[in-house]
Amino acid sequence: MALTIAIPKGRLGNQAIEMLKKAGVGECIDEKSRKLVFKDKKRNINFILLKNSDVITYVENGVADIGISGKDMVMESGGDIYQLYKMNIGKCKMSVAGIKGKKIFKDSTILRVATSFPETAKRYFDSRGQKIKTIQLKGSIELAPILGLSDVIVDLVETGNTLKANGLEVFEDMYQISAVLISNKISYKFKRKEIKEIIELIRREDENGKSN
Amino acid sequence: MKFLNIEDEMKYFQKMFLLRREIENFLFNEGFMNIEPSIFEGYDEFTTINSRIDQKSMVKILDSRDILILSPDITTGIINKFMPKWESNLELKIFYYGKTYKHNGTGIRENREMGVEILGEKNKNTDQNTLSVADRILNKYSKNYLIEIGNSKFLKGLMEACSFNREDYSNILDLIYVKNKQELKEYLEKLPYKEPMDILANILDLEGSYQEITSQLEGQYLNDLMKEGLEELEAVDSYMKDVTDKIIYDLSLVSELSYYHGIIIRGYIEGSNKAIIKGGRYDSFTEQYGYKVPAIGFTIELDELLKRV
Repeated sequence: MALTIAIPKGRLGNQAIEMLKKAGVGECIDEKSRKLVFKDKKRNINFILLKNSDVITYVENGVADIGISGKDMVMESGGDIYQLYKMNIGKCKMSVAGIKGKKIFKDSTILRVATSFPETAKRYFDSRGQKIKTIQLKGSIELAPILGLSDVIVDLVETGNTLKANGLEVFEDMYQISAVLISNKISYKFKRKEIKEIIELIRREDENGKSN
Repeated sequence: MKFLNIEDEMKYFQKMFLLRREIENFLFNEGFMNIEPSIFEGYDEFTTINSRIDQKSMVKILDSRDILILSPDITTGIINKFMPKWESNLELKIFYYGKTYKHNGTGIRENREMGVEILGEKNKNTDQNTLSVADRILNKYSKNYLIEIGNSKFLKGLMEACSFNREDYSNILDLIYVKNKQELKEYLEKLPYKEPMDILANILDLEGSYQEITSQLEGQYLNDLMKEGLEELEAVDSYMKDVTDKIIYDLSLVSELSYYHGIIIRGYIEGSNKAIIKGGRYDSFTEQYGYKVPAIGFTIELDELLKRV
């Protein structure tokens, strides 16, 4: 029976495809084409290219057996899936940041947090006993504290250059983020051998990458 | 279930009726007796005896005197019905058909369920017999099915041996629940080392055939509770020899319901995105009534099964 793998479009997806190709699967994927479904007949694998945030939905509902998604998305969605393997790509941090020199964590009042990860932010500040109000934004999160919409932001930070350019700084790092290979729970029971083979190929590629 | 026309709706109900009757006949012929579960439960009573079910998802009803709920879990209701008046020599093999209700955030979800419970058994082979009933039901409706078997005693014994604090305990269970092997290892490495942690770090590899699991456990730390769990699985394994290709064991199986103590059972049919059969042994659940009555059972998700028939 065929294995269906969901891959996100965009930067993370391109890195993942490159990695899969090096590992010897996914030669059939042509990123330049507009096609969204590719079939590897020899290995009996289907690849579907999806919007980043839809990968978890497809995997959770069993349309795709496994998929590649960011840990940030996995934490935010709370989807009922297995997180089988943390990959060596898509690495960054999820951090709390704000206006440089204005580090404020208030005990007595409610901290306003602008973010595109409201669930994750709530859980993080809850565990520290800090009351917050989340303001959900889809992009340009850095603007929020500058324009007074929020006190701090919770966002992904790779180099910190965007923050710096906007006069912000990281107050603290919350989580290490990387790409995760996720699996549908029932698919894992029926296709355990096939899924573990793919993980093993990726794991070997990760180790090669580290030693180079 | 929503239907666009009456014809489809009637077809669905006739199919459901036939499926239900077929399984009921099968269970009746196996010596199970029918009972009708109650739809209402007392809110306070229910939450005291089963604290694990999410209270927010319960559908509450106010009448002039009490707060009631629509039953979210039929087993809890049955136990609460029978245990207060239990007699020591009783053995009950029962089956039921009923509906459970849960709030899923957008509205009330109604779920049809059929279930089997064996209370107060005298027979040593009850684990095996229960599995065999589950196996024959799945086998009747699909050739591509799988039964997943775990034993909560193994993980419980292992976790107890590590004596984690409450926060670590629940974080570790969460990582096991999502099969996140790397983060589980990293988490354990941060804690002060104890010998049982070696197995815990690799618990997610303890799946597959019974032999595959035991070969990994040679020379490893085992305490009495863990051994008990393994022995129960071994008994099951030698009993189910002729269907071994349909059975997978998973020692990391974590159930949402805390009352399971012993064998845990899940049944799947290929193409379905939900477990069709769910259950296990829950002797310890009866202890809160002052005596321990052996108890094992499972539910069958009729709506999901019907889609696959």
